[in-house]
Amino acid sequence: MLIYIIKRLLLLPFLLLIFSVIAFLLIQAPPGDFLTSYIAELAASGSSMERAQIDALRALYGLDQPMYLQYFKWMGRILTGDLGVSLDWQRPISELIGERMGLTLALGLGTFVFTWLIAIPIGIFSATRKYSFFDYFFTVFNYFGVATPTFMTALVLMWIAFKYYGVSVTGLFSAEYIDAPWSWDRVVDLLQHLWLPVVILGLDGTARLARVMRANLLDELKKPYMEMARAKGLSEWHLVMKYPVRLAMNPLISTIGWYLPLIFSGSVIVATVMNLPTIGPMLLRALISQDMFLAGTIILFYMMLAVVGTLISDILLAWLDPRIRLDEE
Amino acid sequence: MKRSTFLKSLVALGFSTIIGSTGVIAGESPDLEAMVKAGTLPPLNERLPEIPLMLPVVDEIGQYGGTLRRAFLGPGDHNNYTRAVYDALVRYAPDGSQIVPHIAAGWESNENFTEWIIRLRPGAKWSDGTPFNADDIMFWYDNILMNQELMPGGVGWMKNGDGSLASVQKLSDYLVKWTYKQPNTAFLLNMANLDGADKSISNLVFVPAHYLKQFHPDHTSKASLDAKVKAAGFDTWTQLFAVEALPHLSGNRPGMAAWVPDGTTVSDQVFTIKRNPYFVGVDPQGNQLPYIDEIRFTFFADKEALNLAAVAGEIDFQGRHINMSSYPVLKENENNANYRVVTWPTFGGSDAVVMLNQTWIGPEGEYFRNKNFRIALSHAIDRDAIKELAFFGLGEARQGVPAPFHPYYPGDEYAFRYTEFNPEESSAMLDKVLPNKNSDGHRLMSNGQVLDIEIGVVPQFGAWTDIAQLIVENWAEVGVKAHVEVRERAQHFSMRPANELMSEVWNEDTTGFPFSGQPKFDPRSDPALTFAPLVAKWYASGGKEGQAPPAEIKRLVDIIDEAKTSGRNRQIALAKELFQIWADNVWEIGTVGMTPMIQGVLVANDKLRNVPAVAGNDWPLRTPGDTRLEQYFYSR
Repeated sequence: MLIYIIKRLLLLPFLLLIFSVIAFLLIQAPPGDFLTSYIAELAASGSSMERAQIDALRALYGLDQPMYLQYFKWMGRILTGDLGVSLDWQRPISELIGERMGLTLALGLGTFVFTWLIAIPIGIFSATRKYSFFDYFFTVFNYFGVATPTFMTALVLMWIAFKYYGVSVTGLFSAEYIDAPWSWDRVVDLLQHLWLPVVILGLDGTARLARVMRANLLDELKKPYMEMARAKGLSEWHLVMKYPVRLAMNPLISTIGWYLPLIFSGSVIVATVMNLPTIGPMLLRALISQDMFLAGTIILFYMMLAVVGTLISDILLAWLDPRIRLDEE
Repeated sequence: MKRSTFLKSLVALGFSTIIGSTGVIAGESPDLEAMVKAGTLPPLNERLPEIPLMLPVVDEIGQYGGTLRRAFLGPGDHNNYTRAVYDALVRYAPDGSQIVPHIAAGWESNENFTEWIIRLRPGAKWSDGTPFNADDIMFWYDNILMNQELMPGGVGWMKNGDGSLASVQKLSDYLVKWTYKQPNTAFLLNMANLDGADKSISNLVFVPAHYLKQFHPDHTSKASLDAKVKAAGFDTWTQLFAVEALPHLSGNRPGMAAWVPDGTTVSDQVFTIKRNPYFVGVDPQGNQLPYIDEIRFTFFADKEALNLAAVAGEIDFQGRHINMSSYPVLKENENNANYRVVTWPTFGGSDAVVMLNQTWIGPEGEYFRNKNFRIALSHAIDRDAIKELAFFGLGEARQGVPAPFHPYYPGDEYAFRYTEFNPEESSAMLDKVLPNKNSDGHRLMSNGQVLDIEIGVVPQFGAWTDIAQLIVENWAEVGVKAHVEVRERAQHFSMRPANELMSEVWNEDTTGFPFSGQPKFDPRSDPALTFAPLVAKWYASGGKEGQAPPAEIKRLVDIIDEAKTSGRNRQIALAKELFQIWADNVWEIGTVGMTPMIQGVLVANDKLRNVPAVAGNDWPLRTPGDTRLEQYFYSR
């Protein structure tokens, strides 16, 4: 097991190196560069620039250099622990990501906990009372949850909040707390704003997860060992919780690994619509404005999380399900 | 009136209003008063220049206090700030008709407009209290413009006809002289736009020399500069300088505007600019401006969320990013959310034009270059339907020429040329150019292929996608096939100069200002519109690449060049000719214009006063900057 983990960890730098090239190529793939999109943005405000000034800016940002040189410059900086400066924000990338990291984590983990707390009981309930009224109710509810795009839910809820309560529920803080230093009041203010995006983001995940849980559990409930245990007089509650639920959780556990990058990237559209100061909208903006160093760094970060997350999944699965064995020659 | 007398009378006008206000230094914000009492700020008469700038009020003398809440879309939305402060030596008047003194007290020129003297205000100070004088302009000239690392290409407005740079001299502490090799009557028009707009130091003309010296290798040691560059995370000193030279990127750089950043920048979640205690402006009774304490820009990642915040009454004054399509819902909620909706229509032009690429290489190009074909397409468009469906009935059907109240208006016959909806006439004209049709009724080109016009659209300001779709349906009725292609903005923009767009829908919003900046009818402008990209290339390469312009397009360029060296009367005559050629040739087919589409639907807090009901609205005017936010106030 330990050797397996070490092997996987040793592979990490090589994977990331390959990923970084792919990320850089992807970001460079659309036509134009940061200045093309900058000029487009100027035109949106009615302004425009002389060619000489644009060329001067291009030289200033080093965008006139060949792509491989730009890549080496970027990679060279990352390897020395310096993430560089965003073209768009004109601020160090580490600072930009850093200040959004905490809130992104809070939102991601909040959503994760909410999803699991709601989805698993619903899944168990539906499976054990198959074709009952509640099963149908949750089934319909879940289909709505899966079918409605989350940004749509967000827009509808935002409009309802405004229409009936006269408040706009965007952002994660009230105006007076946006820039304030951390305090107990600020945390309370954050929690007052955080629940809505958590519910919106959670609904989608809950629906999916509950369906998966229900289906898995149904498979298990049909198995002969259940009859056997029942015959031996085990209480129904005890019976269901002890074996089938644990086994049915298996596929869910294996997705924890994917969930890690998803915590940071899964809410891009909702976070944009709801104006949440998380990393997702920043990536979206960086991609649109072709701010390649910022976008590249965020994507690289996501990739790293995916690799680490998969590793965590594998370890958890091995621990949870004795049928899984890691071949060590 | 002779040109020189016209200009002199302008100067006199500027001075008389200023002199009228001398000596009547009356009041200041209670906050500043308290600071003076506490001894942390010099008294008002020591902070104001000898001759303060008198800014007339729209309705009444105001009261001090309050925060103006605005919203912005992040670091790319720097011009949200620029438009609010309009921090220039001279400014456009609120109606856009003339240039008026601002930070500078006035100007003079010689008889033939080759020499211009800018007169500064003795005693004026930067927001940190340091005197503002000719050295702050000379620092810009010697250390920014002349520095090959910072400005390798120079800037257009400083160039002589031969491509060399004009000279700038300090005559005294408060007089600076520009000398050009040829007459330059666009000087003041350009000066009125040198306000540090965009993210570019090329739009500056005066900077706080005392602050910027610490970031310039001519004035500081290499070691200390390198340390600063490294600490900020940049590679070169030029990158750091380009940030520190602009107030909205630096956050700490002293300014001359009515409000200066409090340390935050356009990269922050909330960007706040606070009252400048040394602002040179006063109201007609001598009270120091601005009335409002601070302007807060709150970041929104999404335009729709910003519009919802406006509907909810969380924005006190803004037209920028307010969608024209929000107009009905804004009106509906006017009373509950304590704001009013103001509309400021544009200066003319057309708010949705179809531009046909005159240098298109494909077989369609032959038809685009045929004037009768363009006229026929224009007659096929039902502009009234577009006006009702896309502009809520606002505006009028017209070509892209200035508004009737503008001196450059070429006359009704040009403004409405070829705009009547007449499918029969259109069909008859098209029958002569493209007589053959296929079984679907689509007209065929001479090579036997169906003529299919692609209309490129970026859903930017208005319902352009819908408008393009309506036009496609209109054209189909006269047998011309067309289709709409919606693209992401940056991609569309990179296709323009590459001559990859067959046609596009855009707007015509520089019609009031054809002789400064980058007017849209000048094929040399950048970003060039789809009207003639290869002609732009031809001019840029000195005739080596691209396509030579036909006589009519060449005439546009000659008109623009001549007008920049002509007096006012000649300028007006040239402008009229320009727009007559423009409308007559229908290179762009105007639909509906004079609507408030471009940042002209504004929400204003119910208590906000001195907001004009009508105003010149365009980028060169830095609207709403031209309406003098300094004299806005909250009534209690």
